[in-house]
Amino acid sequence: MYKVKIIVVCGSGVAMAMHAAFKLREALEKEKLYVHIDGTGNNELASRIAAYDMVVSNAQVLVKTDKPVFSAIPLITGVGEKELLEKIIAKVREIQTAKNGN
Amino acid sequence: MINHDETVDFAIDEELILVKESVQTREEIIQKLGGLLFKNGFVKDSYTQAVLQREITYPTGLPARMAGVAVPHTDTDHVLKPAIAIANLAEPVTFFMMGSPETEVKVEIVIMLAVHDAKLVIPVLRKVIFILEDDEALLKIKNASTKTEIKNAMVEHIQSLSAKGK
Repeated sequence: MYKVKIIVVCGSGVAMAMHAAFKLREALEKEKLYVHIDGTGNNELASRIAAYDMVVSNAQVLVKTDKPVFSAIPLITGVGEKELLEKIIAKVREIQTAKNGN
Repeated sequence: MINHDETVDFAIDEELILVKESVQTREEIIQKLGGLLFKNGFVKDSYTQAVLQREITYPTGLPARMAGVAVPHTDTDHVLKPAIAIANLAEPVTFFMMGSPETEVKVEIVIMLAVHDAKLVIPVLRKVIFILEDDEALLKIKNASTKTEIKNAMVEHIQSLSAKGK
């Protein structure tokens, strides 16, 4: 099974995105979805994005990309979190299916 | 002299809390809380200016269910010892939203983070951040009229998460 690669972007670099990434992994594992998650600073995103399938960010993403980009904020405030997770879960499944060539 | 709360590994002390604080701008409340952290030896004198600067580039306003909350912070270089300074405001002030710098957030609670090592403090810092989803604790802090109420709400929130093994 292809492991979807997610890059989590932190504007502040302290801990907000790490917190969001932990929650995301937990939610995906509940759905039996096992993904690869890396963190990065906003300034490094442009040079790293090519290797990933999806971006989750708590900073404004200014890099132009056709990859799906999701806001990490609902994972931090809890507001709109369920809806966000549904979208991410659907997207992870979609990418998995496409990469497995089913 | 500040007493560290052993159970939370982070200084959460009444010396670092402001209650029903009346300010006109976000800069003003950042300066006041930064001043408390500096006066009590948790941060270097460069901290407050660095937080103000960071807030422009990476705003920290977060619209939680129960309150608008801002979590100003900056690089670990400016911090000596981990602490959080908390204020509830007499009147909300405008911050901009994390990840969305054009969106305004009316902020009623400011939780200023002094983090000396992001990896080391992540477990406890996560508990602090989880307060955004703890409606009861956030309401208590928003409506508190004493420093003790604010401190107790935060400490109880952290302890309840620890009890759940989070």
